[in-house]
Amino acid sequence: MTLGEYLSDRQGRIALQFIGAGLAAVFLLVTGTQPGILIILLIAFLLVFLLANMLHFLRQRARLLEFQTILEGLDQKYLFAECAPPPRGLYERRLFDLTRRAGRAMTGAVSDAQARQREYREYVERWVHEVKAPITAARLICRELDGETRRKLTAELAQIEANIERALFYARAENPEQDCLFRQADLRKIAAQAIENHRSLLIQSGVRVETEHLNGVVYTDEKWAVFLLGQLLQNAARYRGTAPVITLFSKPLGKQIQLVVEDNGIGIPAHELPRVFDRGFTGSNGRARGGATGMGLYLCRKLAGFLELGLHITSEEGKGTVVTLTFPAKETLTKL
Amino acid sequence: MQKIMIIEDDPAIREELALILENEGYASLPVTDFDIIPEQAERERPDLILLDIGLPGRDGFSLCAALRKSVAAPVIFVTSRDAGVDEVRALSLGGDDYITKPYSVPVLLARIKAVLRRTGGGPEPVDVLEAGGLRLSLTKGAVSANGKTAELTRNELQILSCLMIHAGQIVSRADLIDTLWDHQIYIDDNTLSVNMTRLRGKLADIGLPDAVKTRRGMGYQL
Repeated sequence: MTLGEYLSDRQGRIALQFIGAGLAAVFLLVTGTQPGILIILLIAFLLVFLLANMLHFLRQRARLLEFQTILEGLDQKYLFAECAPPPRGLYERRLFDLTRRAGRAMTGAVSDAQARQREYREYVERWVHEVKAPITAARLICRELDGETRRKLTAELAQIEANIERALFYARAENPEQDCLFRQADLRKIAAQAIENHRSLLIQSGVRVETEHLNGVVYTDEKWAVFLLGQLLQNAARYRGTAPVITLFSKPLGKQIQLVVEDNGIGIPAHELPRVFDRGFTGSNGRARGGATGMGLYLCRKLAGFLELGLHITSEEGKGTVVTLTFPAKETLTKL
Repeated sequence: MQKIMIIEDDPAIREELALILENEGYASLPVTDFDIIPEQAERERPDLILLDIGLPGRDGFSLCAALRKSVAAPVIFVTSRDAGVDEVRALSLGGDDYITKPYSVPVLLARIKAVLRRTGGGPEPVDVLEAGGLRLSLTKGAVSANGKTAELTRNELQILSCLMIHAGQIVSRADLIDTLWDHQIYIDDNTLSVNMTRLRGKLADIGLPDAVKTRRGMGYQL
């Protein structure tokens, strides 16, 4: 609050004071007070008036600053009314009480929403575990079928699994701290698991996967890294070109390790590239092919942020796409 | 015959798993009464236990701790709970391996075999295969016939061993690719053709040019 703002806010009151002083001066003059005394009186009045207003301005400014500091120090801003000191004046106190009541209603609503979200997440997790049992059984039963039917059914089951997995991680990404576990993990193992999870899709797409120059140990949550890599493999298989090859290799970058997923697929148009991690963005490829949800890469970015992974994508239309995952060095991980 | 105890509350999975294990040459011991598992294990003395976590009554974690006290058999957790935290807990309670559902059957079988071997219960892995006049050494990666030997690459070795295991039967190209992927060789159809041609060349070098027959539209046969 500047002095100018303060004055313009109080101009009515100031005008009233001046009018009052003017009227008093006219009255005194008419009733025979000497002009010299009147001038002294007016100067004294002006001084008192200035001092009082100055003090009032300074006090208000200090209070506003205090409120601001309290607000900035708060994690949950909506708890402001609970933490700010109540004012002294009657009118302000009433106003403050109203704000506080509104704040409490809001706090209640927020914690209700959080509880609902937590319950929903728990339900999704439980449901995912439940639905995995019949899928497992179906997979086992498939073994008795002959080659082609078995392969087709297994591929469909794998597609169901991939979709379920995505729902599970979507629910988990809301508060990932709960089941994230950073440990030493072998890149080859992560890659093998991700490939295994999507092998039906990859084999059916006629993809060859090169993993020759892949090795190294990273610090991450293995399950999440497998999921993330799986999303990239699915994309590479879906948006493949002719004679599709996916190359997975690793390279050191200082103390970090980079995992590069390179494909020779149809690529992503340059103007769409900045938006591929946006929620629900499907792009021209996704629309042309159909079945894209725009969730895969969005989840990747979200999980990568939590895993402290660098996620970088480059692509050239008709040539292919390169996604680079930069795993953090053990020393820089804040969550180990 | 090695005995594998299946502790799984989903009847469909339990029965199918029992069937598959029996086809693989194990004796399966599916549990249906979940109240007396430790006693049953003590009586039956299985060589390996497959343990689900979400069970009626008591969960797999506490069950594993109880089993550990009464039997020496290795425990493989097989569960739909896939969080890293659960895995660490399972392994720290004495589990020997942790497999998440849904699993692929070859993976499950390979890991059962690995745990059995590690805990000293399993038979030594087969090193030499013999079929169709060929002798294949898996560790050396060499095939010999008529006193001549040829070195094979990893891909050729897996292709030939798959054909030799199923000697006399027709193995489809899709099955071959599946088997190779099981061994972390992620090839496509064209690469398989290339590898097959090279393998035939090497077999011709040791005097068996027609060892692998092509059955048009069906696959290959040794």
